[in-house]
Amino acid sequence: MNSLERIMAAVRFEHSDRVPVVAQVFGHAAVLADVPLERYVRDGELLARCQLQALARYGYDAVFALMDASVETEALGSRLNYRSDIYPYIERYALDDAANIGALSVPDPRVQGRMPELLKAARILRREVGDEVLVVGCVLGPMTLAMQLLGAEKTLFLAIDNPDLFARVLDFAVEIEISFGLAQIEAGAHLPMVFDPSASPAVIPPQFFREFELPRLKRLFSVFKSAGAAASWLHIAGPADAIFPYYPEAGVEIANFDYCVDPLRASRILPRTCLDGNIKPISFVDDAPEDIAAESSRVLRLFKGRNGLILSSGCEIPPESSPDNVAAMIATSRLESQ
Amino acid sequence: MKNEPLDQLVDALLEGDQARAVAEVVGLQNAGVDNERIINDGIEVAMGRLDAKCTMEQFNLLEIMLVGRAVMGVIKTLYHDAPPPATRGTVVLASLEGDVHDLGKNIVKIIMMAKGYRTVDCGKNCPLEKLVDTAVQEKAAIIGISGLITSVIPLVRQVVPLLRARGLSQVTVLAGGAALKQSSADALNVDYVADAVFDGLRYLEGLPGETA
Repeated sequence: MNSLERIMAAVRFEHSDRVPVVAQVFGHAAVLADVPLERYVRDGELLARCQLQALARYGYDAVFALMDASVETEALGSRLNYRSDIYPYIERYALDDAANIGALSVPDPRVQGRMPELLKAARILRREVGDEVLVVGCVLGPMTLAMQLLGAEKTLFLAIDNPDLFARVLDFAVEIEISFGLAQIEAGAHLPMVFDPSASPAVIPPQFFREFELPRLKRLFSVFKSAGAAASWLHIAGPADAIFPYYPEAGVEIANFDYCVDPLRASRILPRTCLDGNIKPISFVDDAPEDIAAESSRVLRLFKGRNGLILSSGCEIPPESSPDNVAAMIATSRLESQ
Repeated sequence: MKNEPLDQLVDALLEGDQARAVAEVVGLQNAGVDNERIINDGIEVAMGRLDAKCTMEQFNLLEIMLVGRAVMGVIKTLYHDAPPPATRGTVVLASLEGDVHDLGKNIVKIIMMAKGYRTVDCGKNCPLEKLVDTAVQEKAAIIGISGLITSVIPLVRQVVPLLRARGLSQVTVLAGGAALKQSSADALNVDYVADAVFDGLRYLEGLPGETA
């Protein structure tokens, strides 16, 4: 059984040779290869090479064509500040005033900003791993992209002060993500993960998620599935259990669950949705391999017999994590399956 | 009016309805209610109820921001754009160098101002030296560090030693935010890691002598 088959078995709740492990290694792959983050997030070929090196080192089940949370907004005109050792951040938002949303148009992923580099990364990764390992692309969810276009504070106040205009911004975000996600699938990604940290109940109330996010996520996943995405993967960190009840309606097949979510509660709310999580990300920096192994064992034990689990960190493994800690999570999955 | 509870104002604040809260305050002022009472029986009561709500239910930024905006509207009306008179110590707030997220910090600033603290905001992406210099200049009782990315952790660990080197060993250092709250006070070398703003306030209010 190869990595892709193992993950797809978990999605379908079928038995496999071992629980799949997806370490959410993004910038950590650059640190491992001694490559500045700035170069990693700007050069698709380099990103793919670092991802492949990390895959060879760790032997987990998925690679990521994923740069950072500013790819889309940069393609729409936001100005970023690049630093060698941290992810780029937005210096000037593409949208000063949401009322000007009509002046923006959906960027062409083949030519605008770093989108072509991300597509290049997906293409190389798929060419190199074929259907052996899951190639994961990434698009932002509507709420997160709206905040990346307009700024967090303005977006949240807009949602209350002018819900119609806010809905237009979200709809525009969906169009961008459809275009970008389809291009990723065409380039070779098995699926574009939808990354939407700003839709977490830590940011917006669950009722707000239901009204504004749910219908749009539903549309995104439906379009991606029709285009051949292997599965619908939603990544929302934080206390997302409050919105888990909406996931099946959105079409979510793989649901990220963060360290602060009780695994058994997640499993109860989503009995037929594959869960990926939930080792505390900071543990990969602060703790020792035996701590990671113990925590991995705990998660595996809690899900024993369930099948629908991908062992993972609750969110991104911090770039500065100890490689021995990352390796400990993968080793535990192998050991516990023997 | 003099002894009646200011329920309408409290409700407007808790609903995050800035326009209604400001209208209530104007009405109260016209009825002869003084600023101190509006703060104590209006804003403070609303803050207490918000604290209880955040303890009982899921804390979310949107609701807190709306309440914060309404509170700021009331404070502006009361003090004509000047900061409200501080009844507690000075708190210096920052997101450290490399961290450009400041939504959480801005909320902490508003809530602490509403609770009577004098707040000094060093902004986001703040170098350590600037934070410590500001704490010295402003005679800070508290430093609050908000962190959304783990890469600032090595900087957070340096804050207390740098303060001590400048003779500020009495300053209470609090950390919070999605990345920092995964860690412990010992690991971050700070006095307390707050799960949310009201958790931090409770810690400060429990300190002996409450310099805070």
